Amino acid sequence: MGKPTGFIEYKRELPAEREPEIRIGDSNEFQLTMPESALKIQGARCMDCGVPFCHSGIMLNGMASGCPINNLIPEWNDLVYRGLWKQAYDRLALTNSFPEFTGRVCPAPCEGACTLGISEPSVTIKNIECAIIDKAFEHGWVVPTLPAYRSGKRVAVVGSGPAGLACADELNKMGHYVTVFDKEDRPGGLLMYGIPSMKLDKRLILRRVELMTAEGIEFVTNTQIGKDEASLELLSGFDATVLCCGAGKPRDLSVKGRDSKNIHFALDFLRGNTKRLLDGLKNDNEFISAKNKRVAVIGGGDTGTDCVAVSLRHQCKSVIQLEIMPKPPDKRADGNWWPQWPKTIKIDYGQAEAFSVFGHDPREYCKTVKEFISDEKGAVKALRVVTVRWDRDESGRMKMIEVSGSEKVFDVDLVLLAMGFTGSEKELPNTLGLELDERTNIKTKKGGYKTAIEGIFAAGDARTGQSLVVWAINEGRKAALECNRELRYR
Amino acid sequence: MVIEADGKLMTGRDVAIAALLGAQEFGFATAPLVALGCVMMRVCNLDTCPVGIATQHPGLRGKFTGKPEYVVNFMRFIATNLREWMAALGFRTVEEMTGKAKRLKMAADRGNQKASKIDLSNLLYNAADMDANGSHCITRDFLNDSLDVKKLIEAAKPALSNEAKVKASFAIRNTYRAVGTILGSELTRLFGSKGLPEDSIIFQFTGSAGQSFGAFIPKGITLKIEGDTNDYPGKGLSGGKIIIYPPKSAAFEPDKNVIAGNAAFYGATAGEGYIRGIAGERFCVRNSGANVVVEGVGDHGCEYMTGGNVVVLGETGRNFAAGMSGGTAYVFDPEEDFLGKCNKGMVELEFLDDREESETVMKMVRKHFEYTGSLLAGRILLDWNENKTKFVKVIPRHYKEMQKAIGDALKEGMSEEQAEYSAFETHIAGKAKEA
Repeated sequence: MGKPTGFIEYKRELPAEREPEIRIGDSNEFQLTMPESALKIQGARCMDCGVPFCHSGIMLNGMASGCPINNLIPEWNDLVYRGLWKQAYDRLALTNSFPEFTGRVCPAPCEGACTLGISEPSVTIKNIECAIIDKAFEHGWVVPTLPAYRSGKRVAVVGSGPAGLACADELNKMGHYVTVFDKEDRPGGLLMYGIPSMKLDKRLILRRVELMTAEGIEFVTNTQIGKDEASLELLSGFDATVLCCGAGKPRDLSVKGRDSKNIHFALDFLRGNTKRLLDGLKNDNEFISAKNKRVAVIGGGDTGTDCVAVSLRHQCKSVIQLEIMPKPPDKRADGNWWPQWPKTIKIDYGQAEAFSVFGHDPREYCKTVKEFISDEKGAVKALRVVTVRWDRDESGRMKMIEVSGSEKVFDVDLVLLAMGFTGSEKELPNTLGLELDERTNIKTKKGGYKTAIEGIFAAGDARTGQSLVVWAINEGRKAALECNRELRYR
Repeated sequence: MVIEADGKLMTGRDVAIAALLGAQEFGFATAPLVALGCVMMRVCNLDTCPVGIATQHPGLRGKFTGKPEYVVNFMRFIATNLREWMAALGFRTVEEMTGKAKRLKMAADRGNQKASKIDLSNLLYNAADMDANGSHCITRDFLNDSLDVKKLIEAAKPALSNEAKVKASFAIRNTYRAVGTILGSELTRLFGSKGLPEDSIIFQFTGSAGQSFGAFIPKGITLKIEGDTNDYPGKGLSGGKIIIYPPKSAAFEPDKNVIAGNAAFYGATAGEGYIRGIAGERFCVRNSGANVVVEGVGDHGCEYMTGGNVVVLGETGRNFAAGMSGGTAYVFDPEEDFLGKCNKGMVELEFLDDREESETVMKMVRKHFEYTGSLLAGRILLDWNENKTKFVKVIPRHYKEMQKAIGDALKEGMSEEQAEYSAFETHIAGKAKEA
């Protein structure tokens, strides 16, 4: 068990990041690595709790607390402390299909639930996870492992985001032949075209896909299942289909002037950017440049931050990030107790970079857009923004009230909408004749992944609505389990 | 007799079930601790409790955020919840519902296959049906029947009221339990924890003492017994003195025969004990400060001991010093067979070669000789210089380090408290270096 007194003796430390002013000159990862000795000390801070919360992914107050895939965190923290990296990797690989992704992009609900977090900064679980898997690849411990036998059953997985990949990986390990379809030219879904390469190097995704291909999984790209009847024929011949096609319908802002030019959804901006980088700066059809533009990002979440960071790399003239909610407190507010996800202010990489260029945090809180103002050519030239106040009504629910006289106009040339997603894109469920639930996600049987149609399952954002990569992995793994049961006992 | 139920009582419903099964008292531990901030780390034994509950570490104690009011509040919830269940069941008082097991029934749907195989009908059988008198027991007035209330307190009056010296003799039988304990509580009530000067009250008993002879007696009380004692003599000894020796007329060899029962001086915190003869198993378990001399002990001697000095002039049973984290034991081992009987998990074995220490042990043996007339002690003292080399000193490793560090700190002029804390800090720093 870690070191009993480690948490008293050592302070939390994260690896250094590359200097913001330097890293915005490229699109490489911003996080540096830590020497083994320092990681060992961070592992020693784990208290090996009698009742750990870090590994029990539960929903508290609508937010994830603890690891949704139940990573054996205290165990590998201890193994890292003792320098047993191979064993640590073996334990990590038991529960997490892709630690190299979560180790980089997960918001780490494990750390929010870490018992040490009650009174001290929590254990650096995410960074330890990342170090374990990076070391495992470095030492060649991650090798293709073929299933011991083949069931002869064939499964189609639609969508190759984290849910689809995890599902395919598990089903393949269970002995089924798996084919993964993706509408994009490269597999990975949001891992590939949603998250920018500064956070997640795209080579890592290709490395994993190559590994899975070597293990017998077939990837079919540029193929959108469900866009028409004909595309469904591709699914014939499969014994089961798992839909992991995400919740790609972006939330829109229906205010006056929304049809002005140069207003884009964040994902279109991010996809074009990554595609151009991967294609050697050649593919410009889908590319939206922020160069020399005054950029307004609407939405204060991770995707919004990614838009800020990418705009800076395009050398935008200025950037603001509008958030409708109030600025979170520095420390947990009353009612947001441990082990809930801590709703506190975080300075993410994009904000740090904007600060280094413009000298201030790009975020503006309690702001909502009332109107997009366009010039004579129909291009957006300004935003009319109003400040809002959040009050509680009699029933205790938060209510948004516009503050009168708070109107402000921001001059902009490019607007990026990063306000989340509102469910699945309709084509696939419609073509298949699948029912959607009230939040327009694909409806499955209660407590499971089966849809109303025999042999068709749904998992990931497509089933739950937008969520974390780690929930998607969990969904993919669980759906694989259920699908496997069906295939074996049907 | 009162039946107490405990074990994961968390809600008023749990209490109601326990009461219906026959419980009259209800023990809570985990839940009130959680109300105080416990996060069930299960490290109470490691001094690393991160919420400051089970720790002596000043830094960690600072993290304690609990308040007594939280426990009060929690118990109010329990009471309210219990009240709701009682109302639903139609009971006015807890007494009314005690033992009404008929009101409990097994849930028809028990969720999973394994649970459905459990049959609780024997547990839910109403014992009251077997006995028309119901679930209540008649309590005998033990306290007023005790030797203390009947004789000892009266005899000790001069000491209790005027601090005069008192000596008296009594016959004793093994139906008298915890002799001296109520007297001790009277004395403590009057004079506080410092008690009275040594030997203020000397009571001499003849016969066989029942369980817990001299339990918890404070400083100022000396109980001598010519005869033997049952289990737990000197339990929780708190400064008093207990002397046990066989009848002068006894034909047996005292150092070859058991005259004190099991768990003698269990959890003693201060005081002295002298036993001319062998004591049973678990001798001086959890002793934290008493100095005791005995002529032989059963298995598990000095288990979990944390302080005090124990001198064993004869053989020990197996597993001696298991989990012993403090204090020192000295075992006279002329046959050199102690090594195999000692549990060396936490202790080191040494010779008694420190002059000052040898002196201390000799004084204890001499007192033993004087108080009990032990011939064995006499023989050892006759050739002390030779015999002291036959003693094995048993000392816990960490205790030894800490004693040395405290000693060094005291030499630097620190107060006792400062010295203890400084030793603790040095110890922690040392551990950090190891890593």
